[in-house]
Amino acid sequence: MGHPVTTNPFIIMLINMTVVFIVLISLSFLIRAIHYFDPTAPKEESKPEVAPAPAPEPVAAPEPAPVIEEGISSETVAVIMAALASCGYGASSVHGIRIANHNSTPWEQSTRFQPHDF
Amino acid sequence: MELLNAFAVSLQSVWLDSGFSAFTWGNGVMIAVGLLLLYMAFVKEFEPLLLGPIAFGCILANFPRTGFFDEMGLMLAIHYGIQNEIFPPLIFLGIGAMTDFGPLLARPSTLLLGAAAQIGVFVALVGAMLVGFDVKEAAAIGIIGGADGPTSIYLSIKLAPHLLGAIAVAAYTYMSLVPLIQPPIMKMLTSQKEREIVMTELRPVTKFERVVFPIVATIFISLLLPPIAALLGCLMLGNLLRESGVTDRLSDTAQNSLCNMVTIFLATGTGMTMSAESFLVPETLLIICLGLVAFMGGTAGGVLFGKLMCRATDWKVNPLIGSAGVSAVPMAARVSQLVGMKSKPGNYLLMHAMGPNVAGVIGTAVAAGTMLAMLK
Repeated sequence: MGHPVTTNPFIIMLINMTVVFIVLISLSFLIRAIHYFDPTAPKEESKPEVAPAPAPEPVAAPEPAPVIEEGISSETVAVIMAALASCGYGASSVHGIRIANHNSTPWEQSTRFQPHDF
Repeated sequence: MELLNAFAVSLQSVWLDSGFSAFTWGNGVMIAVGLLLLYMAFVKEFEPLLLGPIAFGCILANFPRTGFFDEMGLMLAIHYGIQNEIFPPLIFLGIGAMTDFGPLLARPSTLLLGAAAQIGVFVALVGAMLVGFDVKEAAAIGIIGGADGPTSIYLSIKLAPHLLGAIAVAAYTYMSLVPLIQPPIMKMLTSQKEREIVMTELRPVTKFERVVFPIVATIFISLLLPPIAALLGCLMLGNLLRESGVTDRLSDTAQNSLCNMVTIFLATGTGMTMSAESFLVPETLLIICLGLVAFMGGTAGGVLFGKLMCRATDWKVNPLIGSAGVSAVPMAARVSQLVGMKSKPGNYLLMHAMGPNVAGVIGTAVAAGTMLAMLK
């Protein structure tokens, strides 16, 4: 090992923070460049010049909305409880069961998980 | 009479060869420390996957006359893997395979938050030098603020191997305490109005971007900072395996079996550096205190830079995501999400916080590389 360039903590801090910022700013420019040159990116659609308006087709009558009973069926609750019990949770661990928002994104769904750090 | 004599000599020999005859009070204290860490890991569930093996390694390290490091065997092989920086890059391979870089690619400006949060590393470095550590030891202690276990171990081995046990324990203990350490700082530094900011949805990221980024980033960072090429290279390789779409088996191995195996080896080996003679020194207490300062400094730095970005973008960035700039993937991002949800139910910050969180991993590695280049 050689000798350190400097042993002044404030100079080390200044130099290192500058390098960290420069490297990460450079990375952000690289990311933008990759996005800019992405040949697979969907092109922005140019507006059609004079697109003749198609004749309105007869709109099919919407399917009747499925009738959903309020609350959760007892069969569903039984299945959820069986699944929880098989994971080792006792009944005292369950505070409630609610229907998740089916339209939520995978990221929103993932907020319910409990992973561990590295 | 001869039989009794032989019996007595044998008993004496067994006693003299046993660990009991060489057992010191220091060994007793360290075994108690190991038991405390086991309690924290398994009862309190503070990072059990990491603290558990570390604690058990600590207990094993304090049995006298085991001869673990005298001749080649499992323990020496594990020690070899740590001493020669084999395990941290392998852990990074798994992290890369588990991590979605999408939020970072969708909003590259969050890289700045990952950079700002590194201030904790250097605040701790300054603090460590002020209390008497030399510059290499101070750099190894400071990196605790990066909240990144493998990088902390990697830098400690290179700059201050005698402090490895204390640094690793401090790093992993504080990482497990992220949900307790960060929220008060985040709340103290932000207003209710700032915490309630709803960020706009991220743009979709194409597969091309996901595949090209790890390759380009590896080339750029490895050329710039060769000392961390192994760490960053493995992180990006793991991510490439995940995103390529044609190496599912390798990606699965990297994020599950390989990562789990290496975690056992790395954590047990780290615990085995906690022998009484190297751990029961006043410096250990200082390192633990400085680690806390580093964590708090990093969190504050990220949140304050988040406030700056909030103003610069006309209140479009929620400053809470800045705290995720300390690595601790993915717990720090989850803390941003939880604090945000408490301020405004239904405000999902997790995907936005993952950008700075991933940037923090890269930023900590870059900080480690810069310090290695300057100090080694």
